[in-house]
Amino acid sequence: MTIKRLLLIIPIVLTIVLLQSYFWVPTYENQASGNPNRLVTYIEGSIGDAKILNPILNADGASSAIVSHVFEGLLDLDEDLSLRGRLATDWEITEKAYLLVNLKSRFPDGVVVSGAELLRRIQQGLTQTSFSELGSHLTSLRLLPAHRHETVVSVSIQDNNEKPTIETVEVAINVPERVEFTLDHVDQDLFTRLTPIIGKHYVDHFSHEPYISIPSEVSLEIQSQLKAQYPELLPVTEHNPQIVFDLRKGVTFHDGHEFDAGDVKFTYEAIMDPKNLSPRTSDFEPIKVVEIVDSHTVKVTYKRLYSPAINAWMMHILPEHLLNQQAMNLEMMERELSTEAKKNFGMRDSEFNRHPIGAGRFQFVEWQGDEFIHLQRFDEYWEGPAQYREYYMRIIPDLLTQEMEFLAGAVDYYGAQPHQVARYKDNPAYQSFSSLGFGFTYIGYNNRKPLFADAKIRQALGMAINIDDFLKYLLYGEGERITGPYPQNTEWYDHSITPLPYDPDAALALFEEMGWQRNADGWLEKEGKIFEFNLITNSGNPIRKNVMTIAQNAWKNIGVKCNTQYFEWAIFLKDFVNTGEFDAVVLGWSMNIDPDLYQIWHSSQAGPQQLNFVGYHNPRADDLIVRIRQEYNRARQRELAHQLHALIAEDQPYTFLYSPLSTRVLDKKIVLVDSDEEGNETYGKIYPTKTGDELFYFHRWRKLEFTPNF
Amino acid sequence: MLAFITRNVLQRILLLVIVSIMAHSVIHLAPGEPSQVDPANPRMKPEDIARIRAAFHLDDPLYLQYVYWVKDLYSGELKSFKDNQPVLPKIWGRFLNSLPLFICATLLVWTFAFPTGIHSAIRRGSVYDRSSTFVAYALISLPGFFLSYIMVLWVVEVFGVPVIGMKTFGIEGAQPVFRLMDRIWHLVIPSLMSAILGVAVLSRYVRSQMLEVIGQDYVRTARAKGLEEDTVIYRHALRNGLLPFVTMFGLLLPGLIGGSVIFEQIFAWPGLGRLGYEAILARDFPVILTINFIAAVLTLAGTLLSDILYAVVDPRIRLQ
Repeated sequence: MTIKRLLLIIPIVLTIVLLQSYFWVPTYENQASGNPNRLVTYIEGSIGDAKILNPILNADGASSAIVSHVFEGLLDLDEDLSLRGRLATDWEITEKAYLLVNLKSRFPDGVVVSGAELLRRIQQGLTQTSFSELGSHLTSLRLLPAHRHETVVSVSIQDNNEKPTIETVEVAINVPERVEFTLDHVDQDLFTRLTPIIGKHYVDHFSHEPYISIPSEVSLEIQSQLKAQYPELLPVTEHNPQIVFDLRKGVTFHDGHEFDAGDVKFTYEAIMDPKNLSPRTSDFEPIKVVEIVDSHTVKVTYKRLYSPAINAWMMHILPEHLLNQQAMNLEMMERELSTEAKKNFGMRDSEFNRHPIGAGRFQFVEWQGDEFIHLQRFDEYWEGPAQYREYYMRIIPDLLTQEMEFLAGAVDYYGAQPHQVARYKDNPAYQSFSSLGFGFTYIGYNNRKPLFADAKIRQALGMAINIDDFLKYLLYGEGERITGPYPQNTEWYDHSITPLPYDPDAALALFEEMGWQRNADGWLEKEGKIFEFNLITNSGNPIRKNVMTIAQNAWKNIGVKCNTQYFEWAIFLKDFVNTGEFDAVVLGWSMNIDPDLYQIWHSSQAGPQQLNFVGYHNPRADDLIVRIRQEYNRARQRELAHQLHALIAEDQPYTFLYSPLSTRVLDKKIVLVDSDEEGNETYGKIYPTKTGDELFYFHRWRKLEFTPNF
Repeated sequence: MLAFITRNVLQRILLLVIVSIMAHSVIHLAPGEPSQVDPANPRMKPEDIARIRAAFHLDDPLYLQYVYWVKDLYSGELKSFKDNQPVLPKIWGRFLNSLPLFICATLLVWTFAFPTGIHSAIRRGSVYDRSSTFVAYALISLPGFFLSYIMVLWVVEVFGVPVIGMKTFGIEGAQPVFRLMDRIWHLVIPSLMSAILGVAVLSRYVRSQMLEVIGQDYVRTARAKGLEEDTVIYRHALRNGLLPFVTMFGLLLPGLIGGSVIFEQIFAWPGLGRLGYEAILARDFPVILTINFIAAVLTLAGTLLSDILYAVVDPRIRLQ
């Protein structure tokens, strides 16, 4: 019976065809047999796909990883997290500062201020010994004539429907005479130093009204908003730090076009162009102007003192010739877009974002959405080509599948979960590296609430928790204690600060000192109220949930009643964190390499939707934070950062918990390769930098056919 | 017949419009914002978010947003929020990736379900019948993702070969035959996993359908004529038993879109289901709506096809 036979034969044949394919697939042990290219191919797994491969537009991890291989910045960080020149060979930071001639003011001896007199007195003062330090750094001093300039100011007002709208107003400013100082380094205390000459109230006694004229027809609301901006529009004292970058000569983009100063200026302008909606705008906002001095020199002038601004030049540089208006017009023509589409066409729509061309170590080859991104090494890279020829980022949305692919040899790297670390460390086939990131987890107390207003209470709460429990039970030992707001592997972190001890008895003593007594039920009580608060966090993060449980239990032991709850992320932010309507939260920060803590700790940042949501307020800390971001000398910055760290550790607005370690597992066959001029190769074991980053030497990595013994 | 088809097509077009409007409103009712305007992103300033919202028409009234969507879809200029790529080519590319998986899984389902089902029906009550029933119900009850994970773990641990994705990575340099076989191998596990439930369910249908047919008078007549048992079963019974399954072909169509979201996710298969899933997570409205629209079109086309097929294979059915 044919049908009967067919019904049996078809499935059998189908099964055989499918299953025999197994014998053609490479196994872990013989990855390279018949396929030697596998050894010069590095494959990495990523949970999510890249979104946009443009350094000024991307905001996600996968895109940044690819972009950092394809593009190169003026600067990057070396082994010690100091700045290192890449596309820039050298840079120099100087300063121009301006002092308005305040005609309404008087010198300390009663003489009325005038431009010429002010200049004369400063020049004369500089010859005195008390100004010798300033004098030695001053390269020029001159009086600028008065001038008039017009500018457009935007103010945000509320319309009838209470919706904020942006209005622009044209404003004319009659700038009076100014004294211009040129300094060979940045001095944030310049004007304070001049106080003996100009008097204490020189700056405060300046009235802006006579110098600024606004159109008479604008509404009162706009007028008052404009007036608030006067000190910014016409500052009495102004610091303009300047950075001059010497650019590397002979560097080409992957298409062979030479890199020059125009590309740097273009990148800056593209970031600031509102049409491009770049998420990096705030990093470059302090810049006043970027000027091309010559084809390989760029001068950047800043509006104000802000030392972390230089870090923004790690921004990868775009090739101007592929993205300028001319190139955009060409692309629009080629793609035959409709008139409407043309009107809105911008860098975000360009094909460049899917086929990026940069000046980095690897050049882009192909991007298969949700599957992989393929890069190839750039042989003309100015520092010499990398050892790996091919680089793939595979998109594997699931962690377990990523691990499976790693075990099958189709991914070269696996980010092990804390509980897996021990297993991989013991396995002779792999090498593993643990490093601290820039993140930490904390319990933040709402400092505005009377319950937490006293630092002693916050200290007592911190002392009641055994933080080693978190490390042991939640992180399987894959984490380290922290004492303050800086990442542990940066120089801003002061390692001499000792963490709060775990001492429930001392904690209880502190509570008693503050008038809290244990009542009959065992809860701490004062004036008839027990010490009770809510601790909340976001759902979907099991570790934070467990942090809550451990803390709750620890506090219960000393009589503190803590109720825990968790909320969906959006609700958690909207209803609690942004409004400040919470008692305590478990959260984490992922920090940056710069020491600027303004957004998280300055008291001016404690409003709704701002990042100092715990409402930390300490005038000394505010002062230190501002001084740190205005200080350009690294050693002094470090000193100030250590002071700030100590201050915050003392105040305990957070109970600082731990910083997690992340562990990377690699095939042991991947080694560091060094080749001498004759092409002889020596192999070495991969090692991390002092800051725990083994990928720093990625360009020297390669896979061997055998497992080496080191 | 022609009148029937025309009327049905018109009805379905109307239905399609209603479905798309409903889908549009439901998606906008759901909480959450496109990831580009997520207020939790500290790098974004309120002005930037306002600008992006305006560019995406997010602040316009819902009906206008619907009109924009229809207009852009019609002109082919509809773009994803996530990466600004045109939506239709994106969906087409993913569809081509999903197709082999779908075909392979469908082949497995239909070729395995029939022999097992028929065999069970013929030997009703035997050990084979009981054990296959047991296995079928076990497979129906076990969640597919769980089985898949176990399967992946087992294959990787025991055989040490990759099973994830559409091909082994780093095999580009190998000979074509290796590459082809590698592709087939990568099809095996995911399509097997997505076929398991289908085999279990369909074989139950085949079994009950055959049992019903075998009890019919004409089968008894065929046996009474002295025909061979195989002829009775495979010619007289099976043909009539097949009727309801013909219509199921039409209903396969929508499976092209949503059939394998879970498996594509587990096996990192860059298919259409995953595109839709990720679009939902990122609140990428243009992609979600377009996939939803295509799914609706396929579902409606599938039911129409079923109706027509049924009329064609079963002359007793008359379409009015």
